[in-house]
Amino acid sequence: MTTYLYEKDLVPQKYRILVANRHDALVRKIAAELDIPVQELRRYLIEHLDMILLENLPARYEMADANADQDDPVARVLGREKYTLYLPILPDAAMDAIFHAVNDRVRAGTAMEDAIAYGRVQIREVLRR
Amino acid sequence: MKRTVDVNIPLGPIHPCFKEPVRLKCEAKGERIVGAEVELGYMKKGIERIMKGRPWQEVMFLAERVCGICSVIHNMVFIEAMEQISGILVPPRAAYLRVIANELDRMQSHLLANFSYCYTIEHETLGMYLLDLREQVMDLIEQLTGARVTCAYIIPGGVRCDIPLPEAELLKASLDRIERDMRRYTGMFADGPMIALRSRGVGILTPEAAQRAHVVGPTARASGIPVDCRLNHPTYRQLGFVPVHRADCDNFARVMVRFDEVFQSIDLIRKCLQDLPKGVIRGGGVCKAGETRYSGEAPRGELTYFIKSDEFGRIVEIQIQTPSIMNIEACCHEMIIGVDSIADVTSTFISADPCIACTER
Repeated sequence: MTTYLYEKDLVPQKYRILVANRHDALVRKIAAELDIPVQELRRYLIEHLDMILLENLPARYEMADANADQDDPVARVLGREKYTLYLPILPDAAMDAIFHAVNDRVRAGTAMEDAIAYGRVQIREVLRR
Repeated sequence: MKRTVDVNIPLGPIHPCFKEPVRLKCEAKGERIVGAEVELGYMKKGIERIMKGRPWQEVMFLAERVCGICSVIHNMVFIEAMEQISGILVPPRAAYLRVIANELDRMQSHLLANFSYCYTIEHETLGMYLLDLREQVMDLIEQLTGARVTCAYIIPGGVRCDIPLPEAELLKASLDRIERDMRRYTGMFADGPMIALRSRGVGILTPEAAQRAHVVGPTARASGIPVDCRLNHPTYRQLGFVPVHRADCDNFARVMVRFDEVFQSIDLIRKCLQDLPKGVIRGGGVCKAGETRYSGEAPRGELTYFIKSDEFGRIVEIQIQTPSIMNIEACCHEMIIGVDSIADVTSTFISADPCIACTER
């Protein structure tokens, strides 16, 4: 989004949202799923999501848990829809590329766990970019 | 030669069409909105923090101060959560009286929301008619509970006061009059060609997008998703409640769902008055230690309280998930995106009935 001359610094307010009990538990859960440090994830969320989306993260996560990636086990483990459609953390194109790369590795004979671990590393790379 | 440029349009925090302060930062390409961001923090109360460590007797008053428009349901959900924790039973008469108070609250909230929408699309005449009706409903709330906004009507194990027979008759007569007027105003809205131009096909929220953002209440029901917490409430189940929904997914559908729900509320109140059981209105009980997640249907949708209390009934932990959080988020990231005119941004935003007081709690 564009920066305004008279823009307020929203970082402290966004941080307060993320450290509320429910949000904090969720951020820790996502950090564990993606295997990245909590502080790093918080910083990423503060930089990339607006205040209302941060407020709505727990509700969106619950919907993702119930409905996202029902048909494909690889997509479910990677969180293909969960982290793009439901929680817009990763860009669609990046997640698609990671998903296809993991699927290619599985088809080529790599063990599922190793392919998923590779996918996780790629997701971390995207988040750190 | 004409050139299309990206334009950034900040709306608010103070805007004639917004009931409460919020800042929408819209990004437009020509007249088409391509992105929107919400900035909150203009009326943060920190009420969850204030509630922590206080006894339930204080928290029940704080709960209804989360929102001035839907205070009854905040009172009801908090008390019913405490009743669930403590195993307190509610006498049947009190359960019916709770429904009456809650539905009157829903009526005034929907009428205010539809007034705001009519005002935003500059149909002030219809807006003022609706505001006049809302005042009549507020008078009924005052008659039943003794107050217009912060009623504290619902208490653990019952309600604060009964409805005497003459007042019940007056309530019935008032509902007849309100229903008659409502039919006329709903017809004006539904058949108005200029209203249709501003409302039909504007601010589309697809069922898939609504489901992803966990949209609730009339905003979800206008997108064809028949979710309603009243379906799980024992008293509403006794009354044979069936949610209203539409499949148009636009501003028009959201306003019409609220009109339909006002009629539905009138029917529910009539049914409650007709079948009102005899007996006491307070069963008593003691609030105990425990933890629960309890949801009720506020005028704007699912309102959830996450509560943990100690053995003295003090609130140790509390989190409130208000419906406006989900609805405003979906509105700004789904409905507004792709709107063809800047003028439609405010009307689309208002059609979701955003409550910033609830969101910022």
